[in-house]
Amino acid sequence: MLKNLINKEIREIIQSTKFVISFSVCSLLIILTFYVGAKSYHVNKSQFDSAAAENLRGMEGVTDWRMIDHNISLPPFPLAFLVSGISNDIGRNIKMSGYGELTAKDSKYNEDLIYAAFRFLDLDFIFQVILSLFAVLLAYNSVNGEKELGTLRLIFSNSVPRDKYILAKILGSFLAVALPLLIPFLIGMLLLILLNVPFTSTDWLKLLLIISTGFLFFGSFITLSVFVSTLTKKSSNSFLFLLVTWILFVLVIPRASILLAASAVEVPSVDKLNFQKNVFANQLSEEHVNALKSFKSSGAGDVIEEFQKYMAEKNATREEKMNAFSKQLEEERNNRQNAQQDLSFTIARVSPAASFSFAVSNLAGTSLELIKNYRDQAKNYQKVFADFQIDKTGSTTTSGMVMVVRKTGGDVKTINPSELPKFNFTQPDLSNVLSASIIDIGLLAFFNILFFAGSFVTFLKYDLR
Amino acid sequence: MNEKSQNDKPMLEAVNLTKRYEDNSLALNNVSFVVNPGQIFSMLGGNGAGKTTTINIFLNLIEPTSGEARINGITTHKEPLKAKQYISYVSENVMLYPDFTAFQNLDFFSKLAGKINYTKKDYREVLLRVGLQEEAHNKKLRGFSKGMRQKCGIAVAILKNSPAILLDEPTSGLDPNAGLQFVKLLQELKDEGKAILMSTHDIFRAKEISDMIGIMKEGNLVMMKTKEELENEDLEKLYVQYMSGQFDNAA
Repeated sequence: MLKNLINKEIREIIQSTKFVISFSVCSLLIILTFYVGAKSYHVNKSQFDSAAAENLRGMEGVTDWRMIDHNISLPPFPLAFLVSGISNDIGRNIKMSGYGELTAKDSKYNEDLIYAAFRFLDLDFIFQVILSLFAVLLAYNSVNGEKELGTLRLIFSNSVPRDKYILAKILGSFLAVALPLLIPFLIGMLLLILLNVPFTSTDWLKLLLIISTGFLFFGSFITLSVFVSTLTKKSSNSFLFLLVTWILFVLVIPRASILLAASAVEVPSVDKLNFQKNVFANQLSEEHVNALKSFKSSGAGDVIEEFQKYMAEKNATREEKMNAFSKQLEEERNNRQNAQQDLSFTIARVSPAASFSFAVSNLAGTSLELIKNYRDQAKNYQKVFADFQIDKTGSTTTSGMVMVVRKTGGDVKTINPSELPKFNFTQPDLSNVLSASIIDIGLLAFFNILFFAGSFVTFLKYDLR
Repeated sequence: MNEKSQNDKPMLEAVNLTKRYEDNSLALNNVSFVVNPGQIFSMLGGNGAGKTTTINIFLNLIEPTSGEARINGITTHKEPLKAKQYISYVSENVMLYPDFTAFQNLDFFSKLAGKINYTKKDYREVLLRVGLQEEAHNKKLRGFSKGMRQKCGIAVAILKNSPAILLDEPTSGLDPNAGLQFVKLLQELKDEGKAILMSTHDIFRAKEISDMIGIMKEGNLVMMKTKEELENEDLEKLYVQYMSGQFDNAA
């Protein structure tokens, strides 16, 4: 009986005009997302390779490793083009120096303003906006629609237990949409292979997890729609109610959570922090100049060498103080920012749409963690770069002056840029992304269970007349 | 062919059926009747008289406040799933699934009734029997007229092959020809030994085919007479008299 009821549900949905239209639009968008993602990846990879080559070319002819103008960039990775997360918002290029703070600049949205206005088409958007609406459209009248049609009476003139009927409703509605939707997803994955997007086995696993999480999210809207259709007598009422709920879940709650968290936990702005740093830096600079003025040679050796050594010591001290001050300020800001972020995420998780977004961006490696990962890996590279400079020149670039002594006469050797250590950005592994997204995946499962239980309990008392 | 009834109990039985809704309105008041196999019992009455409420109680869509509705001796609100094995139901406005073809609708409802061995041939035979043209069998119901849908609904009931059939105003909206076909079909079902409970406004057809006729008014079964008792009476006149309240004190 359950099989018959599920089959009926699937057939009824698939044979309806609204399914044919919605499914065609969704399939087209899904395939387009994969195609555009693959193409964008190649374009970005090519731009990245050119920029890296240009970076090395710019070093040609330079005679001292401390004089180079070295930039590192966040390399494009395929999953970021399927679930963009914050990857287009963050600065991609960092001017590398052997000391001090590193600042990432030039986000994708800086370069292509049109995308900043309309954002990219990605799987997050497809599931969160398109497929959740699709779920609402197909299931808003699943129970009350049958009542309006008169088929509910006819069904229950047979020996049909209510629990089996509602279970079949939910499973049938889900399968009717999820199974056909696998086709455009499979075509999309095939496109990735055909368009030579370098997916590792971990990337494939992550992508499968992203799609599975998407279906879990989609399921929560199916169960919610069935639940609402058991709560209301008229299908027009359930549609209206679901539309308002959809707006709240997808558009309002995630944004409102940020505002609520911001009003609860105040975070000092970057400008304010920079102002404080500048004031302190000026103070240190004055002290530094005074210290240089007070230099007195011992008269025992080479004055220049002695001054260079003295200056390096003072630079190091100033650097240390500045770093300590900056670190303290940033730590305070980070702590507040983390508290605000945690609060905002907690509030946002009331909505399945926010949970879904957090889960998939974590799985794709494009969540807020991407900034931290990039910053941490850039800082690690900074140490490697500084060691390389010291190895090559005896010192690294510092915040103070660098005195380069060029001896006259003889051949002047230029540096070989290919000796420069490469910056490799490593993606978080599967276990890391899984542990980061498990809470949100769990929440999506909880929403499914909650709405299912709601539908079940409500339907047991549903007026079948 | 027919599902056998347990012992020789009446197939459909209303015993002091009373239904009072939460707003305290009385929909049914102490209604009792019996429909035996091979009998048609027609309930006449205006809107809100309690005809559909009676059928709803037999279908266990609502529970009686007191009294019992029994199908083949099984009390519907106590063992609904068991009781429903013995009934088929045809509603006033048969819709079925508009995006399904006639075959698909029949296939779904037959399987739901536990009839899993039917083939397309069986569906075709039944649809032809109820008078649905062959070219319509594979068409979606969305484009069907009310009469065509009604025929499909009756086909669903026939395929279930249950010993009792509940019909809720089945002839409303049917053209005269379809009405005649329907009467013929009911007669065949009756001859097969089905117990049929029908609510209707159609006095003439009710008199033509029923073994027993009841008139319901404001939840009361104010009159119940056999075909023989009604033979020399003008049922229409009787109906109007009951409806206008001429027999209120007698009832």
